[in-house]
Amino acid sequence: MIVLTNITQLVLMILSVGLFVSTLEYIKKIQIFAPNGLLSWNVMQLNWGQRNQKTLLKPFFKLFSQSGLSTLFVIRCLLLVGLVFFPLQSVFGWVLISLLAVSLLTSSLITRYGSDGSDQMSMLIVITLVLCHLPGLASPRLADIGLWFIGLQACLSYSVAGIAKLASAEWRASTAIRDVFSTKTYGSKKATLFLQKYPAANGFLCWNVMIMETLFPLCLFLPWPYAMIFLIWGFTFHFFTALIMGLNSFFWAFMATYPALYFINHQMPWHLF
Amino acid sequence: MAKLNSTVIYEFIVTVFLACWFLLTILNQFKDTKLAEFIRVKIDVFALIPLWTFFAPRPGKTDYHLLYRDKITEEQYSEWCEMDITEERTFWSWFWNPEKRDKKILSDVVQSLVSCIPDYRKATGNTNLLMFSMPYIIVLHAVSQCKKQSPNVYRQFMLAETSGYQETNPPALILLSVFHQI
Repeated sequence: MIVLTNITQLVLMILSVGLFVSTLEYIKKIQIFAPNGLLSWNVMQLNWGQRNQKTLLKPFFKLFSQSGLSTLFVIRCLLLVGLVFFPLQSVFGWVLISLLAVSLLTSSLITRYGSDGSDQMSMLIVITLVLCHLPGLASPRLADIGLWFIGLQACLSYSVAGIAKLASAEWRASTAIRDVFSTKTYGSKKATLFLQKYPAANGFLCWNVMIMETLFPLCLFLPWPYAMIFLIWGFTFHFFTALIMGLNSFFWAFMATYPALYFINHQMPWHLF
Repeated sequence: MAKLNSTVIYEFIVTVFLACWFLLTILNQFKDTKLAEFIRVKIDVFALIPLWTFFAPRPGKTDYHLLYRDKITEEQYSEWCEMDITEERTFWSWFWNPEKRDKKILSDVVQSLVSCIPDYRKATGNTNLLMFSMPYIIVLHAVSQCKKQSPNVYRQFMLAETSGYQETNPPALILLSVFHQI
Protein backbone atom coordinates (compact mmCIF):
# COMPACT_ATOMS: atom_id res chain seq x y z
CA MET A 1 0.00 0.00 0.00
CA ILE A 2 1.31 3.44 -0.89
CA VAL A 3 1.86 6.35 1.52
CA LEU A 4 0.38 9.75 0.70
CA THR A 5 3.37 11.89 1.62
CA ASN A 6 4.31 12.45 -2.00
CA ILE A 7 2.43 15.33 -3.64
CA THR A 8 2.23 13.66 -7.06
CA GLN A 9 0.83 10.54 -5.45
CA LEU A 10 -1.77 12.63 -3.64
CA VAL A 11 -2.82 14.22 -6.96
CA LEU A 12 -3.21 10.75 -8.46
CA MET A 13 -5.17 9.33 -5.53
CA ILE A 14 -7.73 12.16 -5.43
CA LEU A 15 -8.12 11.93 -9.20
CA SER A 16 -8.49 8.14 -9.02
CA VAL A 17 -11.51 8.42 -6.73
CA GLY A 18 -13.26 10.68 -9.25
CA LEU A 19 -12.28 8.53 -12.22
CA PHE A 20 -13.48 5.38 -10.44
CA VAL A 21 -16.91 6.92 -9.76
CA SER A 22 -17.09 8.36 -13.28
CA THR A 23 -16.18 4.99 -14.87
CA LEU A 24 -18.79 3.16 -12.77
CA GLU A 25 -21.33 5.77 -13.94
CA TYR A 26 -20.45 4.92 -17.55
CA ILE A 27 -20.85 1.19 -16.79
CA LYS A 28 -24.28 1.92 -15.28
CA LYS A 29 -25.28 3.82 -18.43
CA ILE A 30 -23.56 1.47 -20.90
CA GLN A 31 -26.73 1.30 -23.02
CA ILE A 32 -25.88 4.71 -24.46
CA PHE A 33 -23.25 2.87 -26.54
CA ALA A 34 -25.66 0.13 -27.68
CA PRO A 35 -26.69 0.04 -31.38
CA ASN A 36 -29.86 1.91 -30.41
CA GLY A 37 -28.09 4.17 -27.91
CA LEU A 38 -27.33 7.89 -28.09
CA LEU A 39 -23.64 7.33 -28.79
CA SER A 40 -24.04 4.24 -30.94
CA TRP A 41 -20.92 3.59 -32.98
CA ASN A 42 -23.21 3.10 -36.02
CA VAL A 43 -23.75 6.85 -35.88
CA MET A 44 -20.62 8.14 -34.19
CA GLN A 45 -18.31 6.61 -36.78
CA LEU A 46 -19.74 9.07 -39.33
CA ASN A 47 -17.83 11.70 -37.38
CA TRP A 48 -14.59 10.09 -38.50
CA GLY A 49 -15.66 9.31 -42.06
CA GLN A 50 -14.22 12.50 -43.50
CA ARG A 51 -11.03 12.36 -41.51
CA ASN A 52 -7.65 11.07 -42.56
CA GLN A 53 -7.26 9.49 -39.15
CA LYS A 54 -9.79 6.79 -40.01
CA THR A 55 -7.14 4.27 -41.18
CA LEU A 56 -4.88 5.08 -38.25
CA LEU A 57 -7.66 4.66 -35.72
CA LYS A 58 -9.32 1.63 -37.34
CA PRO A 59 -7.90 -0.91 -34.83
CA PHE A 60 -9.61 1.00 -32.01
CA PHE A 61 -12.99 0.97 -33.73
CA LYS A 62 -13.64 -2.68 -32.81
CA LEU A 63 -13.69 -1.56 -29.20
CA PHE A 64 -16.58 0.82 -29.62
CA SER A 65 -19.36 -1.71 -29.29
CA GLN A 66 -21.36 -1.92 -26.08
CA SER A 67 -19.45 -5.02 -24.97
CA GLY A 68 -16.07 -3.62 -26.04
CA LEU A 69 -16.56 -0.46 -24.04
CA SER A 70 -17.91 -2.42 -21.04
CA THR A 71 -14.66 -4.37 -21.03
CA LEU A 72 -12.64 -1.18 -21.37
CA PHE A 73 -14.42 0.43 -18.41
CA VAL A 74 -14.05 -2.66 -16.21
CA ILE A 75 -10.32 -2.78 -17.03
CA ARG A 76 -10.09 0.92 -16.17
CA CYS A 77 -11.63 0.25 -12.75
CA LEU A 78 -9.08 -2.53 -12.15
CA LEU A 79 -6.23 -0.21 -13.17
CA LEU A 80 -7.47 2.40 -10.72
CA VAL A 81 -7.62 -0.17 -7.92
CA GLY A 82 -4.09 -1.30 -8.86
CA LEU A 83 -2.83 2.27 -8.50
CA VAL A 84 -3.78 2.15 -4.80
CA PHE A 85 -1.19 -0.58 -4.28
CA PHE A 86 1.59 0.46 -6.66
CA PRO A 87 3.14 3.94 -6.40
CA LEU A 88 3.53 5.98 -9.55
CA GLN A 89 7.31 5.97 -9.10
CA SER A 90 7.47 2.17 -9.48
CA VAL A 91 7.72 0.61 -12.94
CA PHE A 92 4.47 -1.33 -12.43
CA GLY A 93 2.69 1.80 -11.18
CA TRP A 94 3.82 3.66 -14.30
CA VAL A 95 2.60 0.81 -16.54
CA LEU A 96 -0.80 0.97 -14.80
CA ILE A 97 -1.20 4.72 -15.26
CA SER A 98 -0.03 4.48 -18.88
CA LEU A 99 -2.73 1.90 -19.57
CA LEU A 100 -5.18 4.20 -17.81
CA ALA A 101 -4.14 7.02 -20.15
CA VAL A 102 -4.63 4.76 -23.19
CA SER A 103 -8.11 3.77 -21.98
CA LEU A 104 -9.08 7.44 -21.44
CA LEU A 105 -7.77 8.49 -24.85
CA THR A 106 -9.54 5.59 -26.56
CA SER A 107 -12.93 6.27 -24.98
CA SER A 108 -12.58 10.01 -25.71
CA LEU A 109 -12.98 9.17 -29.42
CA ILE A 110 -16.59 8.14 -28.86
CA THR A 111 -17.56 10.38 -25.92
CA ARG A 112 -16.96 13.68 -27.69
CA TYR A 113 -20.58 14.56 -26.96
CA GLY A 114 -21.28 14.22 -23.27
CA SER A 115 -17.81 14.76 -21.88
CA ASP A 116 -17.09 17.89 -19.87
CA GLY A 117 -14.30 19.98 -18.37
CA SER A 118 -13.71 17.46 -15.60
CA ASP A 119 -13.01 14.72 -18.16
CA GLN A 120 -10.52 17.02 -19.87
CA MET A 121 -8.82 17.94 -16.60
CA SER A 122 -8.60 14.24 -15.69
CA MET A 123 -6.97 13.32 -19.02
CA LEU A 124 -4.65 16.28 -18.76
CA ILE A 125 -3.44 15.17 -15.30
CA VAL A 126 -3.06 11.50 -16.23
CA ILE A 127 -1.06 12.21 -19.41
CA THR A 128 1.17 14.68 -17.57
CA LEU A 129 1.90 12.10 -14.86
CA VAL A 130 2.70 9.46 -17.50
CA LEU A 131 5.13 11.76 -19.33
CA CYS A 132 6.82 13.09 -16.21
CA HIS A 133 7.41 9.71 -14.54
CA LEU A 134 8.76 7.54 -17.36
CA PRO A 135 11.04 5.04 -15.57
CA GLY A 136 14.71 5.43 -16.43
CA LEU A 137 14.32 8.77 -18.16
CA ALA A 138 12.21 11.07 -16.00
CA SER A 139 14.08 13.11 -13.40
CA PRO A 140 12.76 14.54 -10.09
CA ARG A 141 12.91 17.95 -11.79
CA LEU A 142 10.56 16.72 -14.53
CA ALA A 143 8.13 15.51 -11.86
CA ASP A 144 8.18 19.07 -10.47
CA ILE A 145 7.58 20.51 -13.96
CA GLY A 146 4.55 18.20 -14.25
CA LEU A 147 3.12 19.59 -11.00
CA TRP A 148 3.71 23.13 -12.26
CA PHE A 149 1.84 22.30 -15.48
CA ILE A 150 -1.13 20.83 -13.58
CA GLY A 151 -1.27 23.78 -11.16
CA LEU A 152 -1.01 26.37 -13.92
CA GLN A 153 -3.77 24.68 -15.93
CA ALA A 154 -6.00 24.80 -12.83
CA CYS A 155 -5.28 28.52 -12.37
CA LEU A 156 -5.91 29.16 -16.07
CA SER A 157 -9.23 27.33 -15.89
CA TYR A 158 -10.53 29.38 -12.96
CA SER A 159 -9.19 32.63 -14.34
CA VAL A 160 -10.63 32.15 -17.84
CA ALA A 161 -13.99 31.13 -16.36
CA GLY A 162 -13.97 34.26 -14.16
CA ILE A 163 -12.98 36.66 -16.95
CA ALA A 164 -15.59 35.15 -19.32
CA LYS A 165 -18.22 35.71 -16.62
CA LEU A 166 -17.08 39.29 -16.00
CA ALA A 167 -17.51 39.92 -19.73
CA SER A 168 -21.08 38.62 -19.62
CA ALA A 169 -23.92 41.10 -19.07
CA GLU A 170 -26.05 38.37 -17.50
CA TRP A 171 -23.42 37.58 -14.88
CA ARG A 172 -22.83 41.26 -14.12
CA ALA A 173 -26.60 41.77 -13.79
CA SER A 174 -26.59 39.00 -11.15
CA THR A 175 -29.21 36.93 -12.96
CA ALA A 176 -26.99 34.13 -14.28
CA ILE A 177 -26.96 31.82 -11.23
CA ARG A 178 -30.70 32.26 -10.66
CA ASP A 179 -31.34 31.35 -14.30
CA VAL A 180 -29.01 28.34 -14.29
CA PHE A 181 -30.39 27.06 -10.98
CA SER A 182 -33.92 27.33 -12.33
CA THR A 183 -33.22 24.80 -15.09
CA LYS A 184 -33.96 21.13 -14.53
CA THR A 185 -30.68 20.26 -16.27
CA TYR A 186 -28.32 22.05 -13.85
CA GLY A 187 -30.53 23.48 -11.14
CA SER A 188 -32.87 22.40 -8.41
CA LYS A 189 -36.30 23.40 -7.19
CA LYS A 190 -35.02 24.12 -3.66
CA ALA A 191 -32.24 26.37 -4.94
CA THR A 192 -34.72 28.23 -7.17
CA LEU A 193 -37.10 28.79 -4.27
CA PHE A 194 -34.23 29.93 -2.03
CA LEU A 195 -33.06 32.50 -4.58
CA GLN A 196 -36.65 33.72 -5.08
CA LYS A 197 -37.00 34.17 -1.31
CA TYR A 198 -33.63 35.92 -0.87
CA PRO A 199 -32.96 37.90 -4.09
CA ALA A 200 -29.85 39.53 -2.59
CA ALA A 201 -28.20 36.13 -2.63
CA ASN A 202 -28.16 36.27 -6.46
CA GLY A 203 -25.83 39.25 -6.46
CA PHE A 204 -23.64 37.82 -3.73
CA LEU A 205 -23.25 34.45 -5.47
CA CYS A 206 -22.62 35.86 -8.97
CA TRP A 207 -20.02 38.41 -7.84
CA ASN A 208 -18.46 35.94 -5.42
CA VAL A 209 -17.90 33.44 -8.24
CA MET A 210 -16.69 36.08 -10.73
CA ILE A 211 -14.19 37.71 -8.33
CA MET A 212 -12.82 34.53 -6.77
CA GLU A 213 -12.45 32.71 -10.09
CA THR A 214 -10.72 35.67 -11.73
CA LEU A 215 -8.33 36.21 -8.81
CA PHE A 216 -7.71 32.51 -8.23
CA PRO A 217 -4.11 32.53 -9.61
CA LEU A 218 -3.20 34.76 -6.65
CA CYS A 219 -3.10 31.56 -4.60
CA LEU A 220 0.31 30.93 -6.18
CA PHE A 221 1.76 34.26 -5.05
CA LEU A 222 0.19 34.88 -1.65
CA PRO A 223 1.73 33.64 1.61
CA TRP A 224 0.30 30.18 2.27
CA PRO A 225 -2.24 31.12 5.00
CA TYR A 226 -3.81 33.66 2.62
CA ALA A 227 -3.53 31.33 -0.38
CA MET A 228 -5.55 28.81 1.63
CA ILE A 229 -8.55 31.17 1.40
CA PHE A 230 -8.72 30.47 -2.34
CA LEU A 231 -8.40 26.72 -1.90
CA ILE A 232 -11.07 26.61 0.81
CA TRP A 233 -13.29 28.72 -1.45
CA GLY A 234 -12.62 26.31 -4.33
CA PHE A 235 -13.46 23.30 -2.17
CA THR A 236 -16.74 24.90 -1.07
CA PHE A 237 -17.55 26.01 -4.63
CA HIS A 238 -17.05 22.53 -6.09
CA PHE A 239 -18.89 20.87 -3.21
CA PHE A 240 -21.94 23.05 -3.78
CA THR A 241 -21.85 22.69 -7.58
CA ALA A 242 -21.82 18.93 -7.01
CA LEU A 243 -24.67 19.19 -4.51
CA ILE A 244 -26.91 21.63 -6.39
CA MET A 245 -25.92 21.10 -10.02
CA GLY A 246 -24.93 17.41 -9.92
CA LEU A 247 -21.42 18.18 -11.24
CA ASN A 248 -19.81 15.51 -9.06
CA SER A 249 -16.87 14.70 -11.34
CA PHE A 250 -15.67 18.33 -11.32
CA PHE A 251 -15.15 18.09 -7.57
CA TRP A 252 -12.60 15.26 -7.81
CA ALA A 253 -10.86 16.47 -10.99
CA PHE A 254 -10.27 19.96 -9.61
CA MET A 255 -9.49 18.88 -6.03
CA ALA A 256 -6.75 16.71 -7.55
CA THR A 257 -5.00 19.86 -8.77
CA TYR A 258 -4.90 21.46 -5.31
CA PRO A 259 -1.82 19.55 -4.04
CA ALA A 260 -0.03 20.91 -7.14
CA LEU A 261 -1.11 24.45 -6.16
CA TYR A 262 0.29 23.85 -2.66
CA PHE A 263 3.53 22.65 -4.24
CA ILE A 264 3.88 25.69 -6.53
CA ASN A 265 3.05 28.10 -3.72
CA HIS A 266 5.81 26.58 -1.57
CA GLN A 267 8.29 26.64 -4.46
CA MET A 268 7.69 30.31 -5.23
CA PRO A 269 10.88 32.25 -4.54
CA TRP A 270 8.85 35.29 -3.45
CA HIS A 271 5.32 36.14 -2.30
CA LEU A 272 3.24 39.28 -2.64
CA PHE A 273 3.73 40.30 0.99
CA MET B 1 27.02 9.99 -18.92
CA ALA B 2 24.84 8.57 -21.71
CA LYS B 3 21.96 8.15 -19.25
CA LEU B 4 22.38 11.71 -18.04
CA ASN B 5 22.19 12.96 -21.63
CA SER B 6 19.09 10.98 -22.45
CA THR B 7 17.48 12.24 -19.23
CA VAL B 8 18.21 15.84 -20.14
CA ILE B 9 16.97 15.38 -23.71
CA TYR B 10 13.79 13.68 -22.50
CA GLU B 11 13.24 16.42 -19.92
CA PHE B 12 13.64 19.05 -22.63
CA ILE B 13 11.21 17.30 -25.01
CA VAL B 14 8.51 16.84 -22.34
CA THR B 15 8.92 20.42 -21.10
CA VAL B 16 8.53 21.81 -24.63
CA PHE B 17 5.51 19.54 -25.18
CA LEU B 18 3.82 20.73 -21.96
CA ALA B 19 4.64 24.38 -22.80
CA CYS B 20 3.03 23.96 -26.26
CA TRP B 21 0.01 22.27 -24.67
CA PHE B 22 -0.38 25.17 -22.25
CA LEU B 23 -0.01 27.72 -25.06
CA LEU B 24 -2.61 25.93 -27.22
CA THR B 25 -4.96 25.88 -24.20
CA ILE B 26 -4.61 29.66 -23.87
CA LEU B 27 -5.22 30.19 -27.60
CA ASN B 28 -8.24 27.87 -27.51
CA GLN B 29 -9.96 30.16 -24.97
CA PHE B 30 -10.53 32.73 -27.76
CA LYS B 31 -13.15 30.38 -29.13
CA ASP B 32 -14.54 32.56 -31.92
CA THR B 33 -11.18 33.00 -33.65
CA LYS B 34 -10.11 30.94 -36.68
CA LEU B 35 -7.04 29.75 -34.79
CA ALA B 36 -9.18 28.30 -31.98
CA GLU B 37 -11.39 26.60 -34.57
CA PHE B 38 -8.29 25.19 -36.29
CA ILE B 39 -7.05 23.84 -32.93
CA ARG B 40 -10.40 22.22 -32.14
CA VAL B 41 -11.02 20.71 -35.59
CA LYS B 42 -7.55 19.82 -36.88
CA ILE B 43 -5.29 19.33 -33.86
CA ASP B 44 -7.43 18.22 -30.95
CA VAL B 45 -8.40 14.67 -32.00
CA PHE B 46 -8.69 13.43 -28.39
CA ALA B 47 -10.35 16.55 -26.89
CA LEU B 48 -7.25 17.29 -24.83
CA ILE B 49 -7.23 21.05 -25.30
CA PRO B 50 -9.88 22.40 -22.96
CA LEU B 51 -12.16 25.38 -23.22
CA TRP B 52 -12.48 26.64 -19.67
CA THR B 53 -15.33 29.18 -20.04
CA PHE B 54 -17.81 27.30 -17.84
CA PHE B 55 -21.35 28.74 -17.97
CA ALA B 56 -20.08 31.93 -19.62
CA PRO B 57 -20.52 34.24 -21.35
CA ARG B 58 -24.06 32.89 -21.91
CA PRO B 59 -25.17 30.65 -19.04
CA GLY B 60 -27.52 27.83 -20.09
CA LYS B 61 -30.81 29.09 -18.70
CA THR B 62 -33.26 26.88 -20.56
CA ASP B 63 -34.10 23.21 -20.60
CA TYR B 64 -34.18 21.47 -23.93
CA HIS B 65 -37.01 19.13 -24.90
CA LEU B 66 -36.95 16.56 -27.65
CA LEU B 67 -40.35 15.45 -28.95
CA TYR B 68 -41.41 13.25 -31.84
CA ARG B 69 -44.55 12.14 -33.64
CA ASP B 70 -45.42 9.69 -36.43
CA LYS B 71 -47.31 10.15 -39.63
CA ILE B 72 -49.83 7.29 -39.66
CA THR B 73 -51.66 8.23 -42.87
CA GLU B 74 -51.46 11.33 -45.05
CA GLU B 75 -53.88 13.12 -42.75
CA GLN B 76 -53.44 11.28 -39.48
CA TYR B 77 -50.63 11.90 -37.02
CA SER B 78 -49.85 10.45 -33.62
CA GLU B 79 -49.65 12.62 -30.48
CA TRP B 80 -46.33 14.27 -29.69
CA CYS B 81 -44.23 12.15 -27.31
CA GLU B 82 -41.33 13.54 -25.32
CA MET B 83 -38.00 11.79 -24.85
CA ASP B 84 -37.03 11.94 -21.19
CA ILE B 85 -33.94 14.17 -21.09
CA THR B 86 -34.35 16.45 -18.09
CA GLU B 87 -34.87 14.06 -15.21
CA GLU B 88 -34.71 15.53 -11.70
CA ARG B 89 -31.70 14.51 -9.64
CA THR B 90 -31.72 12.35 -6.52
CA PHE B 91 -30.25 13.20 -3.10
CA TRP B 92 -27.08 11.20 -3.90
CA SER B 93 -26.38 12.99 -7.19
CA TRP B 94 -23.61 15.00 -5.49
CA PHE B 95 -21.61 11.76 -5.39
CA TRP B 96 -23.24 9.32 -7.79
CA ASN B 97 -24.88 10.84 -10.85
CA PRO B 98 -24.93 8.50 -13.86
CA GLU B 99 -27.98 10.32 -15.28
CA LYS B 100 -25.86 13.33 -16.06
CA ARG B 101 -24.31 11.53 -19.03
CA ASP B 102 -27.53 11.18 -21.06
CA LYS B 103 -28.52 14.73 -20.22
CA LYS B 104 -25.10 16.12 -21.12
CA ILE B 105 -24.98 14.20 -24.42
CA LEU B 106 -28.36 15.47 -25.55
CA SER B 107 -27.63 18.94 -24.24
CA ASP B 108 -24.31 19.01 -26.20
CA VAL B 109 -25.97 17.66 -29.33
CA VAL B 110 -28.86 20.12 -29.15
CA GLN B 111 -26.54 23.06 -28.43
CA SER B 112 -24.35 22.01 -31.35
CA LEU B 113 -27.43 21.80 -33.56
CA VAL B 114 -28.77 25.14 -32.38
CA SER B 115 -25.43 26.85 -32.89
CA CYS B 116 -25.11 25.69 -36.50
CA ILE B 117 -28.67 26.65 -37.56
CA PRO B 118 -27.72 30.33 -38.28
CA ASP B 119 -24.72 29.19 -40.38
CA TYR B 120 -26.93 26.96 -42.53
CA ARG B 121 -29.56 29.70 -42.88
CA LYS B 122 -26.86 32.19 -43.89
CA ALA B 123 -25.21 29.84 -46.39
CA THR B 124 -28.27 28.37 -48.10
CA GLY B 125 -31.23 30.50 -47.00
CA ASN B 126 -32.84 27.49 -45.33
CA THR B 127 -31.95 24.62 -43.01
CA ASN B 128 -32.38 21.74 -45.46
CA LEU B 129 -28.70 20.78 -45.40
CA LEU B 130 -28.80 20.67 -41.60
CA MET B 131 -30.12 17.11 -41.81
CA PHE B 132 -26.70 15.97 -43.02
CA SER B 133 -24.98 17.36 -39.93
CA MET B 134 -23.71 15.07 -37.18
CA PRO B 135 -25.91 16.46 -34.36
CA TYR B 136 -29.04 16.19 -36.52
CA ILE B 137 -28.23 12.54 -37.33
CA ILE B 138 -27.66 11.75 -33.64
CA VAL B 139 -31.02 13.29 -32.68
CA LEU B 140 -32.80 11.50 -35.54
CA HIS B 141 -31.13 8.21 -34.57
CA ALA B 142 -32.23 8.72 -30.95
CA VAL B 143 -35.88 9.39 -31.79
CA SER B 144 -35.97 6.63 -34.42
CA GLN B 145 -35.16 4.09 -31.68
CA CYS B 146 -38.30 4.99 -29.73
CA LYS B 147 -41.30 2.70 -29.92
CA LYS B 148 -43.09 2.67 -33.28
CA GLN B 149 -46.79 2.04 -33.89
CA SER B 150 -46.15 0.20 -37.16
CA PRO B 151 -43.00 -1.22 -38.81
CA ASN B 152 -42.64 1.46 -41.48
CA VAL B 153 -43.48 4.87 -40.17
CA TYR B 154 -42.52 8.42 -41.01
CA ARG B 155 -41.27 10.24 -37.95
CA GLN B 156 -40.83 13.93 -37.28
CA PHE B 157 -38.99 15.45 -34.32
CA MET B 158 -39.21 18.81 -32.64
CA LEU B 159 -36.67 20.58 -30.46
CA ALA B 160 -38.12 23.01 -27.95
CA GLU B 161 -36.90 24.95 -24.94
CA THR B 162 -38.52 25.98 -21.66
CA SER B 163 -37.39 28.21 -18.83
CA GLY B 164 -37.23 25.44 -16.22
CA TYR B 165 -38.79 25.88 -12.78
CA GLN B 166 -39.41 29.61 -13.24
CA GLU B 167 -41.86 29.06 -16.12
CA THR B 168 -41.59 32.75 -16.93
CA ASN B 169 -41.61 32.22 -20.70
CA PRO B 170 -43.81 29.89 -22.74
CA PRO B 171 -42.09 26.92 -24.43
CA ALA B 172 -40.30 27.99 -27.61
CA LEU B 173 -39.73 26.02 -30.79
CA ILE B 174 -36.09 25.61 -31.87
CA LEU B 175 -36.36 23.21 -34.79
CA LEU B 176 -39.07 21.17 -36.49
CA SER B 177 -37.72 18.41 -38.70
CA VAL B 178 -39.26 17.01 -41.86
CA PHE B 179 -40.79 13.50 -41.72
CA HIS B 180 -38.16 10.79 -42.03
CA GLN B 181 -38.91 7.20 -42.97
CA ILE B 182 -37.53 4.99 -40.20
